[in-house]
Amino acid sequence: MGRGLVIGVVLVLAALGVAVGVVLRDTEDAGPANTGGMTVASAMGGDGGTEGYARAMEPRPFHFPEDHGPHPDFRTEWWYWTGNLETQDGRAFGYQFTLFRSALSPEQSKRESGWGTRQVFMGHFTLSDVSGGRFHVTERFSRAAQGLAGADGAPFHVWLQDWDVRSEGTGGTWPMHLRAQGDGVTLELTLDEGKPPVLQGDKGLSQKGPERGNASYYYSLPRMPSRGTVSVDGQTVQVKGDSWMDREWSTSALSGDQVGWDWFALQLSDGSELMLYQLRKKDGTKDAFSAGTYVPATGEAVHLSAEDMQLERRGSWKSPRGGEYPAGWRVQVPKVSLELTVTPKLPDQELPVLVRYWEGAVSVDGTREGQPVQGRGYLEMTGYADAPRNEQTVRSRTP
Amino acid sequence: MPSSPPDSRPLVELRAVTKSYAEGDSVREVLSGTSLALHRGEFVVLLGRSGSGKSTLLNLISGIDQATHGEILVEGRDLGRLPERDRTLLRRERIGFIFQAFNLLPTLTVEENVRLPLELLGRSGAEASARARELLGRVGLETRANSFPDRLSGGEQQRVAVARALAHSPPLLLADEPTGNLDEETGGQVLDLLEGLTRQGNACALIVTHEPAMAARADRVLTLEHGRLVDRPGGARGRGTT
Amino acid sequence: MRTLLARSSLRHLGGHPWLTALSLLGIAMGVAVVVSIDLASGSALRAFEQSTDVVAGRATHQIAGGTSGLPEGVYTALKLRPDAPDAAPVVQGFVQVEGGNHRTLTLLGLDPFAEAPFRDFSTGGAVGDVGTLLTQPGTVVMGAKTARALGVKAGDTLPVMVTGLRRELRVSALLEPAQETTERALESLLLADISTAQEVLGMEGRLTRVDLRLKGGEAQAATLRAALPRGAELVQTSGRAGTVEQMTRAFRTNLTALSLLALVVGMFLIYNTMTFSVVQRRGMLGRLRAVGVTRGELFALVLGEALMLGIVGTAAGLLLGILMASGLVGLITRTINDLYFVVNVRRLSLEPFTLIKGLSLGLGATVLAALVPAWEAARAAPVTALRRSTVEDVSRGRAPRLAVLGLIILAVAAAVLAWPTQALLPAYAGLFAVLLGSALLVPWVTEKLTVASARPLGALFGPLGRMAARGVTASLSRTAVALAALMVAVATTVGVGLMVSSFRGTVAAWLESALQADVFVSPPSLVARRGDSSLVPGLAEKLRSTPGVEASGSIRVIHVRINDVDTDLLAVDFAKGHERTYRFKEGRAEDVWRQLEASPDALIVSEPFAFHRNVHAGDTLRVATDKGPHDFRVAGVYFDYGSDVGTVLMPRATYEHWYEDRGVSGLSLFAAPGQDVDELVARVRDRAGGEQALNVRANRALRQASMEVFDRTFTITQVLRLLAIGVAFVGVLSALMSLQLERAREFAVLRATGLTPGQLWGMVSLQTGLLGLLAGLFSIPLGLALAYVLVHVINQRSFGWTLQLVVAPGVVGQALVLALVAAALAGLYPAWRMARANPAMALREE
Repeated sequence: MGRGLVIGVVLVLAALGVAVGVVLRDTEDAGPANTGGMTVASAMGGDGGTEGYARAMEPRPFHFPEDHGPHPDFRTEWWYWTGNLETQDGRAFGYQFTLFRSALSPEQSKRESGWGTRQVFMGHFTLSDVSGGRFHVTERFSRAAQGLAGADGAPFHVWLQDWDVRSEGTGGTWPMHLRAQGDGVTLELTLDEGKPPVLQGDKGLSQKGPERGNASYYYSLPRMPSRGTVSVDGQTVQVKGDSWMDREWSTSALSGDQVGWDWFALQLSDGSELMLYQLRKKDGTKDAFSAGTYVPATGEAVHLSAEDMQLERRGSWKSPRGGEYPAGWRVQVPKVSLELTVTPKLPDQELPVLVRYWEGAVSVDGTREGQPVQGRGYLEMTGYADAPRNEQTVRSRTP
Repeated sequence: MPSSPPDSRPLVELRAVTKSYAEGDSVREVLSGTSLALHRGEFVVLLGRSGSGKSTLLNLISGIDQATHGEILVEGRDLGRLPERDRTLLRRERIGFIFQAFNLLPTLTVEENVRLPLELLGRSGAEASARARELLGRVGLETRANSFPDRLSGGEQQRVAVARALAHSPPLLLADEPTGNLDEETGGQVLDLLEGLTRQGNACALIVTHEPAMAARADRVLTLEHGRLVDRPGGARGRGTT
Repeated sequence: MRTLLARSSLRHLGGHPWLTALSLLGIAMGVAVVVSIDLASGSALRAFEQSTDVVAGRATHQIAGGTSGLPEGVYTALKLRPDAPDAAPVVQGFVQVEGGNHRTLTLLGLDPFAEAPFRDFSTGGAVGDVGTLLTQPGTVVMGAKTARALGVKAGDTLPVMVTGLRRELRVSALLEPAQETTERALESLLLADISTAQEVLGMEGRLTRVDLRLKGGEAQAATLRAALPRGAELVQTSGRAGTVEQMTRAFRTNLTALSLLALVVGMFLIYNTMTFSVVQRRGMLGRLRAVGVTRGELFALVLGEALMLGIVGTAAGLLLGILMASGLVGLITRTINDLYFVVNVRRLSLEPFTLIKGLSLGLGATVLAALVPAWEAARAAPVTALRRSTVEDVSRGRAPRLAVLGLIILAVAAAVLAWPTQALLPAYAGLFAVLLGSALLVPWVTEKLTVASARPLGALFGPLGRMAARGVTASLSRTAVALAALMVAVATTVGVGLMVSSFRGTVAAWLESALQADVFVSPPSLVARRGDSSLVPGLAEKLRSTPGVEASGSIRVIHVRINDVDTDLLAVDFAKGHERTYRFKEGRAEDVWRQLEASPDALIVSEPFAFHRNVHAGDTLRVATDKGPHDFRVAGVYFDYGSDVGTVLMPRATYEHWYEDRGVSGLSLFAAPGQDVDELVARVRDRAGGEQALNVRANRALRQASMEVFDRTFTITQVLRLLAIGVAFVGVLSALMSLQLERAREFAVLRATGLTPGQLWGMVSLQTGLLGLLAGLFSIPLGLALAYVLVHVINQRSFGWTLQLVVAPGVVGQALVLALVAAALAGLYPAWRMARANPAMALREE
């Protein structure tokens, strides 16, 4: 009797246990892991097709200030400001302020909601506090809707939330007022008209690959006298210096075997400027579509092709976030008798953003036609970081 | 088997014990000023009619009941001064009980019933088992060790009860009408066992009965009449033990 | 515990397998009911919390709007500030999947570019096609699991209904997050770009809220608050989650209390079993005492036996509880959906805390119930022979004293219940004290009644009848326990039954008087008792001018924050020339209406609202309006049984004065004299036609539908009542059965002296029937008392409703039948066994 009861109890408990197991078991087994989500990496990466977008096929006329404004039919576009600034007592700063526009589709569908748009903006703002040895980075995203981000040509205005650059004068361009903040620093600058726009490549058509249309429209404002304030850690100082603005829009630029580029925007003490970019191929060699422009203090700009330049790495810098970058460059442009050494003002000016790259203030030392020349500028190096662009999740760096 | 040396001190001593019960308005005195001393090695029979107070006396000696007046000492300890728990432990350690109605635990096997007193004393395992088997052997029931009591006849049950009472070798054995439910022959067997084992263990047995025939086996015969105890030698004296 | 004693205990339990099994079943059911209710309502709440967590993400604060959300400009203004905080706009609403099971899904519209600080819907690799979400209207992504449950694949179209409007969504991708928590969060969720959500939900230009992550704490909150436009409020997220918890607290507390009743009945069962086993073994316990087993050891022995039963029973109860919970969770979810908010519970969440609680409740109840029997066992006198009659004399002698104690406890209970407080705990303490006090009265009343019944029973059935009656008193120590258990169990079902029937009666009467119009029109709403969806703009006017409509009224239901708590606000446009159907608890109707019409600062509140917020006529309430917070005067308190959290009502004119919203949530139409109502319904339906799928119902149909919702919300209560009945049944069965089985020897003597099996059966049946009848009779006054406490104290304190106690004869009759049937069944087996048994065997048994 007793044993029967015990057996009975055990059986009942076991049966209940099994039933509970059945109830709690997930009825559906997990399928193959197809991860996905609402991340903006792909949106900003421009992975979509090029069909339906306008292409940069041949040179076009440029009109200002209208062309400072957006070209929404092209897939990507950017407004790129860099500059080196100094306080009266010699404290040095560098800044980069970039707004990228990216179209998600070639056609805008009709939407009832004011949030419906195909244009999105990404912004990068860095401040290199050279004397303080610190590099401040902020990245931002927004759709171009609800007044959150956008661009206008006349008068010129481009903004991403409270970051903006707008024309303050009557002519629609000059002076430009630039305002950005993030990561504890604020920059307010007034940019005055300096040298006139320089059309890069073939009258502004910058060919990046052999295929027709693998090109961008590209112009630069290589030297704009700048003044304003920098605030770091709650302390505001007056600064002065020169800025450089690059404008480029395209639908398809890089070819498949191009892994990155090294881009130089240098302002020399003799009043000339040098823009150079070297496209690197997978095998490490220089792509034939690398190019540049030399802008003398006065007179016509000189177009430079790949064979006009010799770029030599000087040392290397290991990123704590992975990847190895050149620690400086030796630049030779025999065509205009230039021999320059380019040295970063801070070793770590890498932007740990959606697509990681290095962009920072540099100082320049060398000779021009045998005469010593100094200078400063900005250097951008991409394709050295090891993280594939698509697997990074966006992390805001706003404070 | 442990065998203690003769002890001049009595095992049980009653000093002028009175026990009375309230019955409505009147008081009935069951024992009145009774004194008694029992020693190891004695086989004592307590006679008396039903209701004469025999069971009361057993209950008093075992500490189940308390005297109204007087002192009861077991191995020199005054039961009246012991708390209830100590009296219970005294029973557990020093006394073996045999009841009229066998009173085996129906939920334990024969062997387990015999082992119970040992286990209550913290002795368990193989040693206790062996002791139980040994006692069962002596009462001739080793083959029934794993049976439950309801499978045994009355005589067998009472033999188990004897084995249980003796399991922990108590110096004092109390038996209340151990043969009351048995036929004469079976009763005789049980008494033989009881006597033999008591003497072997140098214990003292106090056996309550209303059968005068039992007096023949006893060293002493006590008779309870109207609350008074009459003490006389039993038939066994002649056989010259102690 | 000595092993031999323990073994003896086990064999004793095993020797009475039926009783042991029944008490195990009793414990198991008691524990199971408590655990299942706890698990099910906990799962529902956690599902809600989880969905709020997902939806609220890591937000510390939120900006919420006054009425239908916020104007979207609030967000832009915030983001263009130089000190803009992390902020994310949210548009959120519910859609119902068309076809299939009409599952309700939450559509969460987000701006992916603002999301990073708040929510991660994907972890690990991200290959989401944000571009499509942004640029293709109607595109959503969803969890792969939910998609599989709905039979949807990536690229499929998913037709949904939103307040009667059909929308087609396109599922562009399925999310299969690596982490389980994220996966769970995605259940029943559709993610869309904010633009799509606005378009699907008809919320263009509006946001549900803005989520904020403020690192500067309250100082920053204050700065931002100062810049907000009127009508927008910045609040802490934790505050909002708490509201939900509070909203359902009374509901959950009541469920828990009802489930505890089942456990109390289970406790009686354990008490009965243990008492029985002690009484039955009293002789053996006395012998053990004689052999030298101490009182402490006996106490431990009995407690140990109880614990053994408790452990096994509780283990079975936990498992059974989980099984039952998976059934109950659906019921509870439905009730919550009908009453409070939309929640999808797709999974039982097994909280270790709940299981531990169930375990300790089960074991605790067992030990508690076994304390008295264990104490009785320890008290067993160490004597060699003891007749039961002396025990019974003792317990009969105790009966009057117990009765006095019972009366004292009842008096204390009455005092506690009458204590003017709104706290629920004293109410429940009082309720349980009533049960205890009544149980203590049982022995004395039983004795008196059975002694009195011996004569008529004797007259009816002869000596057997007298014996049956005396048998009850002769074993009073156990019959009383069995009777008390039976009474408590049956009374519980009576009390809960009467509470529900009273509630139903009150609501039915209220609906009768409140629903006067002939035809009612409303868009389908996801929460049955809330009518917070809108008619398509312009449709209301069109329907109100339907030929055959003599007069019409409208209602608007919106959520507003009143004194910082979300509340339903009703804006009513009364039909002209028809009586207003509100009855007032505070304020005279004419005065109230005059005040409401005279000033745009007056409103009225429902009884539960007045109760929960402790608001009375003449008080002021701060209501968030589109013009900013405004203080309104409470002109009156009206009776309303539509919402247990309470509602606030203002005339449409007042509403339009304070709010920009011009939407309409429902219409009431009065038919012109001579107009056939069914025809009018058809005509109205026709006019709504292709614009919106509306519920157009005639008065009777709406009343019926309302009662259906009511019955649905009480299904869970009824189920609990049935479970309590089940436990009670088991209790009666085991109590009466043990009573009869124990008397085997007595019956054997009767059989031996010449009683036929039939006569024996008759006597046993008569006795158990008598017990059943007594229990049934006892349970009626107790049940009425319980109903009174439930209706007038507990319901009042939980929900603030004034209900009429309606004594439904059916419920009372049910109780008697239940008691008698259980009793009759309980007599069957022992009688059968006795009749069959060989009397000699029984006589020989110890």
